[in-house]
Amino acid sequence: MEERKTQNRRLCLQRRAILKMLAVAPVAGWMPMATLAAQVAKSMPEHSATPEYAATGDDGQGAADAYQPKVLNPHEWRTIQALSDRILPADEDSPSATEALVPEFLDDWLDYQRGELLTEVRYGLAWLDSECTRAFQRNFVDCASGEQTQILDRIAYSQRAAPEDARAVAFFNRLRDLVLGGYYTSELGIRDLPYLGNEPQNGWQGCPTPVLAKLGLA
Amino acid sequence: MTEMMFTPDIYDVIIVGSGAGGGMAAYNLTKAGAKCLMLEAGGWYDAARDSKWLEWVYDAPHRAWQSDAQPLGGFEAVVGGWEVAGEPYSNAPGSDWMWFRSRMLGGRTNAWGRISLRNGPYDFKPYSRDGKGFDWPISYEDLAPYYDKTEELIGVFGSAEGMENLPDGRFLPPPAPRCYELVVQKACKSLHIPCIPSRLAVLTRPLNGRPACHYVAQCDRGCRLGSNFSSPATLLFPARETGNLEIRSQAMVREVLTGRDGRATGVSYIDKKSGQEVQARGKVVVLAASSCETARLLLNSRSPNHPNGLANSSGTVGKYLMDTVMSDVNGFFPSLLDLPPHNEDGVGGMHLYMPWWNYRKQRELPFSRGYHIEMDGGRRGMPGLGVLNGSERLLGEGYGLELKKKSRRLYGSFIQFHGRGEMIPNRESYCEIDDKAVDRWGIPTLKFHFQWSEEEIQMARHMQETFLEIIQAAGGQAVGSSGPAKTGGISRGGQGIHEVGCARMGSNPETSVLNPHCQAWDCKNLFVADGAPFVSLADKNPTLTIMALAWRTSEYITAQVRLQNI
Repeated sequence: MEERKTQNRRLCLQRRAILKMLAVAPVAGWMPMATLAAQVAKSMPEHSATPEYAATGDDGQGAADAYQPKVLNPHEWRTIQALSDRILPADEDSPSATEALVPEFLDDWLDYQRGELLTEVRYGLAWLDSECTRAFQRNFVDCASGEQTQILDRIAYSQRAAPEDARAVAFFNRLRDLVLGGYYTSELGIRDLPYLGNEPQNGWQGCPTPVLAKLGLA
Repeated sequence: MTEMMFTPDIYDVIIVGSGAGGGMAAYNLTKAGAKCLMLEAGGWYDAARDSKWLEWVYDAPHRAWQSDAQPLGGFEAVVGGWEVAGEPYSNAPGSDWMWFRSRMLGGRTNAWGRISLRNGPYDFKPYSRDGKGFDWPISYEDLAPYYDKTEELIGVFGSAEGMENLPDGRFLPPPAPRCYELVVQKACKSLHIPCIPSRLAVLTRPLNGRPACHYVAQCDRGCRLGSNFSSPATLLFPARETGNLEIRSQAMVREVLTGRDGRATGVSYIDKKSGQEVQARGKVVVLAASSCETARLLLNSRSPNHPNGLANSSGTVGKYLMDTVMSDVNGFFPSLLDLPPHNEDGVGGMHLYMPWWNYRKQRELPFSRGYHIEMDGGRRGMPGLGVLNGSERLLGEGYGLELKKKSRRLYGSFIQFHGRGEMIPNRESYCEIDDKAVDRWGIPTLKFHFQWSEEEIQMARHMQETFLEIIQAAGGQAVGSSGPAKTGGISRGGQGIHEVGCARMGSNPETSVLNPHCQAWDCKNLFVADGAPFVSLADKNPTLTIMALAWRTSEYITAQVRLQNI
């Protein structure tokens, strides 16, 4: 079921890419656009040209509720969700890490890698809880935002971190990379980057004039 | 014991391996009317059906990250890798060789970088120039017509430059440079380093019924439209249309069979699907299994006439193993921040590159041969999992809204420089049969010996110094490299996936395996058509030369058969 949803979503996107390509202005000397579009369409899995997919409108919502963590226990899962959103919260341009399904990615990734990485993450999550409990008598997830900040600030800036927190700093560096990677390779997060590719082009125009101007190369 | 099976036919030619060399041999020999049997150790692959074209990273398992089965990433048109289940190899003490095996129809041509550079006149006569390594028994002029024909068939874009030791080809027009490539070009100009259109086997115009590129930077995934060169789409499927080519996949060749007169009579292979041993008979055998696999086959083909392995009376089978010298540096460029929206995908490789520019100054340098510089970066290619790894150093660390704002701004402001240089063949680098190990079919496996010399280390150091100069001239800062300056961050042997040599051609049967036509000195109906005949490995990527040589060898085979010399 999940697989079918993903498949549908992918085919919708591929279809969108073809439709968008049809709107590109023709370039002298290149193959007629309709020909390229037909070739692209033909190369797709057979059913992608059928109209049902466009009508399905399945955006993958609901998957977040259904996800069953593979390695993280319920408490770790809640902690990872809270922590991911502290690292990459929502803003006016893009959704939060949780909305972009970063915790799901992290759990799957930890399951895939296991070993030393899982050990490091388990250590880090436990460290957060123990430091929060020491200071505020509550686990990290149950702390107020300001309290969480107080603890996170100890490990989020390696230059000014205390030597005794080194292991927790290493954990945070690692997790931040993973949250950034997971977010910017997610379906919602990737749109937050100025990446305009993966769209078949009918001809290659080179570097646009406004960019050349900004680079001083015009 | 499995039952031995015989194939009923006697083929004109049996070709072992379906990559660049095997594909080119099949294309030419079938067109000349020869009935050919091609044996491929891996499974069937057809990019038109199997490519992961246009798939988004978030739809792929584990975000398309590399795995044992897909060491170059989950989207790559790769089956195989440096480790292949059931097919081990070993290293002698002190060696650290990585042996890449492709196990799919078309071999590495499905995922390769498509960089198609001709060897120049110097590259065939390196010993004559600097007294190191060895000269080829052929010259640039011998191969030039075959470079022409190969380029016209497969389609290579590029520009006529008239540069020293960088012969121009029959080029399609090159694609316009990307924005970040223009930044590098400007910096190179100030350093007097040439930065010119690259030369890739990607169609910028329709050719031979194949459509032009659609510019999504995904050549490595295999092209559904056949707009880049791969052996199956460009060579094997057209060859099959002649009715003269039979391809058997999952056929792992154990040895070349020889008769009482010492001539090859065919090959013996394991049909992986049934586990059965099968013998196929042919009048001519062409080995194109990849350099080390070809050497392994020859060494494992022992008979009373060929006690040290087939075609090995000189003892040079397996010797003079080479790989490309590699070193990389990553640079951060503030000028690439906050640029107006633009798509930088382009073809599946660089649009500009820097060929070797120091032939005139070579004697002043602490190494004897050249390298070229490849690059990627900017907003090219789909963001992958490591997209902002280690960025905390540039971002000022932290977390939250500020981190997010800085992250999206930082994306696309990096350029990676990749040095690719010539290794001088040495006696310490070779492969031999490991007498203590076999693969899952009981075939003796290879043991590797590999050493870089000081020449290569000095070259890698020069690469890194040059990259730093370019980065500085472009107003950037270096943020990472493939290794410390002391060793130049030099790659491991085999990591370049350009292994060549091990059955070199020559003009003296006492010091070479093959004659100047890639015909075995010791067995005149046996030919080699992969990278094994290479006498040196110029900085130029080997695939185009493998194909031009295979074309030349195929013509020679056809002519010799017509003259009834074979």
